[in-house]
Amino acid sequence: MELVKAKRDDLLAPLAAVSGIIERRHTLPILSNVLIERSDGCLSFLATDIEIQISARSSLDASGAAHAVTVGARKLLDILRALPEGAEVSLNLQDKRLLLKAGRSRFSLQTLPAEDFPRLAKPAGEIARFALPQRALRRLLGLVQYAMAQQDIRYYLNGLLMVVEDRQLKLVATDGHRLAYATMQLDAELPRQEVIIPRKTVLELSKLLAESDEEVRVEVSSTQAGFQFGTVELVSKLVDGKFPDYTRVIPKEHKNRLQIDREALRQALQRAAILSNEKFRGIRWVLTDNNLKIVSSNAEQEEANEELEVQYSGDGLDIGFNVTYLLDVLNNVSGSVVEASFADAASSTLICVPGEKEFKYVVMPMRI
Amino acid sequence: MDAPRRIIHIDMDAFYASVEQRDDPSLRGRPLAVGGSPQSRGVVAAASYEARVFGVRSAMPMSQAVRLCPDLAIVRPDFARYRAASQQVMAILRSCTPLVEPLSLDEAYLDVTDNLWSEPLATTVAKQLKARIREKLQLTASAGVAPNKFLAKIASGWRKPDGLTVIAPERVERFLRQLPVEALWGVGPVTAKKLRAIGIERLVDVRSADAALLHRTVGSLAEWLKRLSVGDDPRRVQPDRPWKSISGETTYAEDLEDAQEIRSEIERLAQRVAASLEKKKLSARTVTIKVRYADFSTVTRSYTGTAPTRADGEIAAQAVALLERTEAGRRPVRLLGVGAHGLVSDEELPPAPESLPFGP
Repeated sequence: MELVKAKRDDLLAPLAAVSGIIERRHTLPILSNVLIERSDGCLSFLATDIEIQISARSSLDASGAAHAVTVGARKLLDILRALPEGAEVSLNLQDKRLLLKAGRSRFSLQTLPAEDFPRLAKPAGEIARFALPQRALRRLLGLVQYAMAQQDIRYYLNGLLMVVEDRQLKLVATDGHRLAYATMQLDAELPRQEVIIPRKTVLELSKLLAESDEEVRVEVSSTQAGFQFGTVELVSKLVDGKFPDYTRVIPKEHKNRLQIDREALRQALQRAAILSNEKFRGIRWVLTDNNLKIVSSNAEQEEANEELEVQYSGDGLDIGFNVTYLLDVLNNVSGSVVEASFADAASSTLICVPGEKEFKYVVMPMRI
Repeated sequence: MDAPRRIIHIDMDAFYASVEQRDDPSLRGRPLAVGGSPQSRGVVAAASYEARVFGVRSAMPMSQAVRLCPDLAIVRPDFARYRAASQQVMAILRSCTPLVEPLSLDEAYLDVTDNLWSEPLATTVAKQLKARIREKLQLTASAGVAPNKFLAKIASGWRKPDGLTVIAPERVERFLRQLPVEALWGVGPVTAKKLRAIGIERLVDVRSADAALLHRTVGSLAEWLKRLSVGDDPRRVQPDRPWKSISGETTYAEDLEDAQEIRSEIERLAQRVAASLEKKKLSARTVTIKVRYADFSTVTRSYTGTAPTRADGEIAAQAVALLERTEAGRRPVRLLGVGAHGLVSDEELPPAPESLPFGP
């Protein structure tokens, strides 16, 4: 039975969109498969790792009776990729095998029944629904996601806090040493929701969202978060845990304020980082009137010195940082100027972009 | 080879109980246990010799102690007083040599090979120390004198209370021959049972044991046991022995079943450990928790973070996260503990970013 006949690229795009979340190693063999479903004249692909589920509709016309099958995603993807661009491909089902034909190429793949394919349950409880341009969500995620922890024992830090309240969407990420906070206005009055989106979901979502004004529709319940955009629908379970109270660590503006050209600072830090200790990545900022000196040295006693003209009239300061934490924020914010404000060398530093109240970055100093 | 050392192990007799009996004449001559109450499932922290006659031992549940000895007097521990007495004891020991290694409040090793009193005979030193402790504190101690720590510790326990046992280098072999395998440092009841299973009953049997078999039975301990079995223990007396770990645990009067309550207890213990680290200016690389379920089965879990810390919020968060790897809450819990290990002083700290002050 022929499932579909289509251009290779019309199959490749949706398949590639869903395959990103498939883990290489898992306990359930069917999880390395992708579900291919034909219904209502439409062909769609669906993949899951039990925590996240992504489906993507193909734009092509696939008429015929409803039918579904699962097949190894990686192999199908590799075959399609290896076929010439624009090739005409047909997928046929024959004796529990999926037959892929293109020109004079033939591939016979084993299948597993679609009924055995695990699906995420429907969300429960109250749901906050809102929509925003894909570009906007993508930007917001980009402002905070690098600050998430990776494999921290405090598993709730290995994700992103998403808060819907006061007609605002707030995103917070922290690894315990630095914290990024970004917010934007929402059009609708919504029930308050506060959830933690797993790290993997966040990274996948950022990858899939397009730089476009088309909408992404978001649904947040207490058990799941769903994102629908273009032909893609991503549903994710949430991290069950209590995120630390971020409001406690975001300082009001400190009195010692520094304004500096972002690109100049970024480049100076990148150079200084070369001679910082590879493991600890410490660098020092020495601040005097309108002058910032960046100093680093490594275990071999090699030294880097950078001097920058800045706007600064606060106390003289000598403060240490993990240079990665500074580069992370400078690489991800836009704006030509950034502002850093300090209380003293032992307290947190607040980094913002002047005129943009929607973003705050808090970084703790480092003992060097 | 080095000249023989002269090591003394001082062990205060029934220390907590003796301090109580000294300070309260009505307790003298009576069976006494220091510890928690039998109703609240306390355990015996120390038992007087009068109580030991009845079979009361430290670490025994108090309820069992009362069954063994219905007239048992029970006193809640007052660690401040024991600590004060301990400091006086240690001061006496240090008057003889700076090479004093306290093991706990009531035990210490001394290396008196060269001592401040210029007393060549370790036996005389031990007698003097015991006399001074009795005179100044009205407490008795047992002492063991031997060429190394291992033998000195066995010797101090040889005759108690108020004992003095000397193992001169030429009598070491005769002494070792009478010891059971449990006397080996590092061999507890479990290891002893394993050793018995391969035919090792006495300490000296270790010498003739097949090396491969011994290694299969006790693993890396094998080499060490071989060494001890010939009376060889090169460990030095280390004054100001650095803190290896700091921990706190609590046995609860009633089993904890509520996950939330267990969580807040772990947080409380973690904060206590953090406060203790703060006081000693130490940071921990590793945080452990210990959970004893109602059926006495016990599990420990540990986590080593990216950088040593003593921030109470961080230690508490790590400890609570470790709780997720246990069945606490799904199974009733009788004891909880939090420990800090891999301790480093401020000078030894690698550079690391401070933690955000999220609070507890």
